[in-house]
Amino acid sequence: MPVFKAPFNGYSVKFSPFYESRLAVATAQNFGILGNGRIHVLELAPGAPGVTESVSYDTADAVYDVCWSESHDSVLIAAIGDGSVKIYDTALPPPSNPIRSFQEHAREVQSVDYNPTRRDSFLTSSWDDTVKLWAMDRPASVRTFKEHAYCVYQAVWNPKHGDVFASASGDCTLRIWDVREPGSTMIIPAHDFEILSCDWNKYDDCILATSSVDKTVKVWDVRSYRVPLAVLNGHGYAVRKVKFSPHRRSLIASCSYDMSVCLWDYMVEDALVGRYDHHTEFAVGIDMSVLVEGLMASTGWDELVYVWQQGMDPRAS
Amino acid sequence: MERAMERQKILLRHLNPVSSSNSSLKHEPSLLSPVNCVSEVSPMAAFGDDIVIVAAYRTAICKARRGGFKDTLPDDLLASVLKAVVERTSLDPSEVGDIVVGTVIAPGSQRAMECRVAAYFAGFPDSVPVRTVNRQCSSGLQAVADVAASIRAGYYDIGIGAGVESMSTDHIPGGGFHGSNPRAQDFPKARDCLLPMGITSENVAERFGVTREEQDMAAVESHKRAAAAIASGKLKDEIIPVATKIVDPETKAEKAIVVSVDDGVRPNSNMADLAKLKTVFKQNGSTTAGNASQISDGAGAVLLMKRSLAMKKGLPILGVFRSFAVTGVEPSVMGIGPAVAIPAATKLAGLNVSDIDLFEINEAFASQYVYSCKKLELDMEKVNVNGGAIAIGHPLGATGARCVATLLHEMKRRGKDCRFGVISMCIGTGMGAAAVFERGDSVDNLSNARVANGDSH
Repeated sequence: MPVFKAPFNGYSVKFSPFYESRLAVATAQNFGILGNGRIHVLELAPGAPGVTESVSYDTADAVYDVCWSESHDSVLIAAIGDGSVKIYDTALPPPSNPIRSFQEHAREVQSVDYNPTRRDSFLTSSWDDTVKLWAMDRPASVRTFKEHAYCVYQAVWNPKHGDVFASASGDCTLRIWDVREPGSTMIIPAHDFEILSCDWNKYDDCILATSSVDKTVKVWDVRSYRVPLAVLNGHGYAVRKVKFSPHRRSLIASCSYDMSVCLWDYMVEDALVGRYDHHTEFAVGIDMSVLVEGLMASTGWDELVYVWQQGMDPRAS
Repeated sequence: MERAMERQKILLRHLNPVSSSNSSLKHEPSLLSPVNCVSEVSPMAAFGDDIVIVAAYRTAICKARRGGFKDTLPDDLLASVLKAVVERTSLDPSEVGDIVVGTVIAPGSQRAMECRVAAYFAGFPDSVPVRTVNRQCSSGLQAVADVAASIRAGYYDIGIGAGVESMSTDHIPGGGFHGSNPRAQDFPKARDCLLPMGITSENVAERFGVTREEQDMAAVESHKRAAAAIASGKLKDEIIPVATKIVDPETKAEKAIVVSVDDGVRPNSNMADLAKLKTVFKQNGSTTAGNASQISDGAGAVLLMKRSLAMKKGLPILGVFRSFAVTGVEPSVMGIGPAVAIPAATKLAGLNVSDIDLFEINEAFASQYVYSCKKLELDMEKVNVNGGAIAIGHPLGATGARCVATLLHEMKRRGKDCRFGVISMCIGTGMGAAAVFERGDSVDNLSNARVANGDSH
């Protein structure tokens, strides 16, 4: 299975929506506490267990998240620790990048998500307690969403409704927003502790998962939000990221400070269907390929990026 | 390096979540030992069991018997702020575990009944209890401290600390208090408890060398700052407009009014006019009606809960209640109370007086206010920056809650530049009270903007 060793600690990994073999990785020096960051664009060798770096970009501060554009195959957007949001064109060499940089967030930007349906906008969420909406053709943010009372660790678009997104915050609330409305349309007090991540189901646009400092992943249906559909126990520490599969309706991947990546099927009794312990430090980034069913990638503070097929051992060579 | 510490703190909260049982980390990265990091994050890490203020409001403060609330009864005054703290936070009133009201002059049982009536006026159900507390001029602050202590003790999760005084309805005895026990005359300190407050102000001025000019200057500054705050619209954040009535004393005609501005402030106050006033407590003394606090009507209310609950409800945190101290001092110079109480409260909070960015110190009398600031070597640009009781008024039981609203809203405006604030009062019969607050997470956007201060000396 492909493994890539980065010079800095990994924070996030994303498969390209255009090329099966391409990934972007966000990394940060000194665990993202102090120092520089770097974005790597990786290529998987066809048919062989190799991975090569095609280009990398240095940043003055940690890169906490990265996402691909859904409208331009070579465009990347990065969430930076100094509060900036930067756009890169991987078709251009490092000296020409970033092609744009926005400095609006007052604190660290934790997440960035591109709109998969409208394909003209993206969201960022920040430790300044806000989420910002950006359009690719605008010089500044279009809107700022200010209801959260603590760090917003994730903001993610609904896969079918182009104006709807969810945000997960350290204020222990999950909020659902419609950008056409002045305020959030729903507030779910999803956990008793900070919520570190959320993701929408790809097949049912009313279902989301949240992951928390309380070590659980919960699955919610906005049509009956009082009680979660499922509570997934199994991680030994805070669950840093959660991701719904693009290929199987009820399959969820999660990664945790307990250094493991887990696979869950929230609709079966024994929900934990897979556990991978390949990381030797906090596992903080997880993604599943849209183009290749079952292909997964993870990254962690051990400076490694793994790409593997579900059911296989990521460390197998 | 401050940013690095902030990031460590956020990460540590993921690993050692607030109020969970600690389990040792088996594979912790060596850079991040929780023990080391926590000690570095001190003194004021944010924890889920912090007691926080999510709302603090007050009425305008009006001149007793002549101002906007002269015909407003105390239960109507109190009801307006009790209603505001639950309405503006969308809190279900039935979730409130207790309402504690500081109040001084009215007969105790009468006032307790009126406060219960006020809670019904404000929409609270039968299930929400009410009680009063009287620690003289600090009663409103004592109410807030009592609620914070009760939440911490686990008696309830949400409480309201409030204060109310209607000095139009109830009067301080003109000649000072009269002890019912003749034996008080046999104990000099007990006898001094009965001194009119103005005499204690003269004692402070004489014993500690506070001049008439210093006192008058403090009064001018108080009025100037209060007038500027009103003119700039700053106080609108903290003041709840009250719809009430005013009765013409001759025709008895009632007129509906809305009171939203402090009406005791004299923008034109100046040294020459103040110098003409007689010293009414002592011949050739220095305390006058102009450099003493005004007799007033007003109310305030503060909503408190644990941080974890505020976060769960999605409520912005206006401030954190960090410590509270009451200290005793000689009754004959009761005004020095803040000079003793403030160091006690900051010490309890693990801070020095020099760490405090903003103060609200009750100006019962200019003499004790000036003395306290000099004794503690305070930067006057950090004290009573929007005026004090000499200009605004001193509705005895409400002043503490009024100061919480004033302090926390000003800290919010100042943002990251202002982290700790202190409120303090002297207390009749010889005490000082002080509380330390930390700025909450909710700050205005201009988080590093220094408030433009038009004052110059």
